[in-house]
Amino acid sequence: MENKINLTINGKEVTGRPGMTILEVARDNGIDIPTLCYIQDLPPIGACRLCVVEVEGSRTLVGSCHTPVAEGMAIQTHSPKVIATRKVLVELMLASHPDACLICDKANICELRRIAADLEIGLPRFRTRKHYFPVEDENTDMVRDMSKCVQCRRCVIACKSKGDEPLFGMAYRGFDSKVIHGYDQPLGSEACEDCDACIDICPSGALRKPRRAGEERAAKALIIKG
Amino acid sequence: MAGKGVITPQKDRSDLIVRLQEAQQRYGYVPEEVIRALADSLNIPVHEVYGVASFYSFLSTRPLGRNVIRVCKSLPCYLKSAEMIMEAVQKELGIGLGETTPDGRFTFQLTNCIGLCDHAPAMLINQDTHVDLTPEKIKQILKSYQ
Ligand code: SF4
Ligand code: SF4
Ligand code: FES
Ligand code: FES
Repeated sequence: MENKINLTINGKEVTGRPGMTILEVARDNGIDIPTLCYIQDLPPIGACRLCVVEVEGSRTLVGSCHTPVAEGMAIQTHSPKVIATRKVLVELMLASHPDACLICDKANICELRRIAADLEIGLPRFRTRKHYFPVEDENTDMVRDMSKCVQCRRCVIACKSKGDEPLFGMAYRGFDSKVIHGYDQPLGSEACEDCDACIDICPSGALRKPRRAGEERAAKALIIKG
Repeated sequence: MAGKGVITPQKDRSDLIVRLQEAQQRYGYVPEEVIRALADSLNIPVHEVYGVASFYSFLSTRPLGRNVIRVCKSLPCYLKSAEMIMEAVQKELGIGLGETTPDGRFTFQLTNCIGLCDHAPAMLINQDTHVDLTPEKIKQILKSYQ
């Protein structure tokens, strides 16, 4: 039992083992830190920054999903500064996101919506243009709607296509950044294994199964309680 | 565009940027064929090569004009009225941002700080620097590029 690391999270003394991340130790102790790009058991991506926490003595907030715990760390997971930062991050994601929840196939299983609701994000504060990319449905088993992509890169990490290289990657820069396939071309059916790994793991409506006549929706129709 | 292949055969993906720069210099942009050939020879996906080529603003995946104007848009230049310079360029050439003149002579782009803030506002035309710009100077400067 020597290999224990002692630290505090929100004032509570907790222990972790070497190599564990702050997020893992927090979740082990029932503390919920929101994440968007993190996928359990896969290498951390560190793209969304939603998992930031305050570490005493650190000049900046740190991403808990990829920062290992260290002896004596004092961590705040829900301080006002942390909450404010998470809110702005989600507000920025929503600012360029289509206002399409009402007709979105994944509305009821959308992690982006859930996180926005959890963080009590209200009416939009930031005015920017919306992302618009044509919907890609060349692949018979996948619809890619990059207007709804939050660039978490989960699909890049999760892709299990033949060979060791994923079928997706990032291209362009800044506001124009986009997850692409090949020479920014629609993903056809030849390369893809139809394993659905990326569709299942996409937190938004950006990747989904096509809906065929008579088939049920992936999730129940969106019901808004008044 | 027949014959545009890999510039120098190589096996190491760390060479990628250098190869892309070579193509940029030779063709004035990085043609799709070069991107696909590079991906082949490096044994990496096309999206990775295209991703790098489309990320860097000094690499272009589309043909550019013979002369590329890059007006600095960073704060010091902005405070010294870089916007008037941008306007002057657009008016002189009759093209908008990111466009190329129909005769292929100029492409107009913006850039982040190019380290000439002490002589703001500044711009690059190809590899040449032009500093302490005023809208009046633009016409004269552009004349010297054919
Ligand atoms: S992806 Fe989520 S947030 Fe976006 S339109 Fe669909 S339900 Fe709404
Ligand atoms: S398509 Fe989905 S999984 Fe892939 S980066 Fe966009 S939001 Fe994330
Ligand atoms: S969950 Fe940590 S950066 Fe996205
Ligand atoms: S801000 Fe324009 S050169 Fe530095």
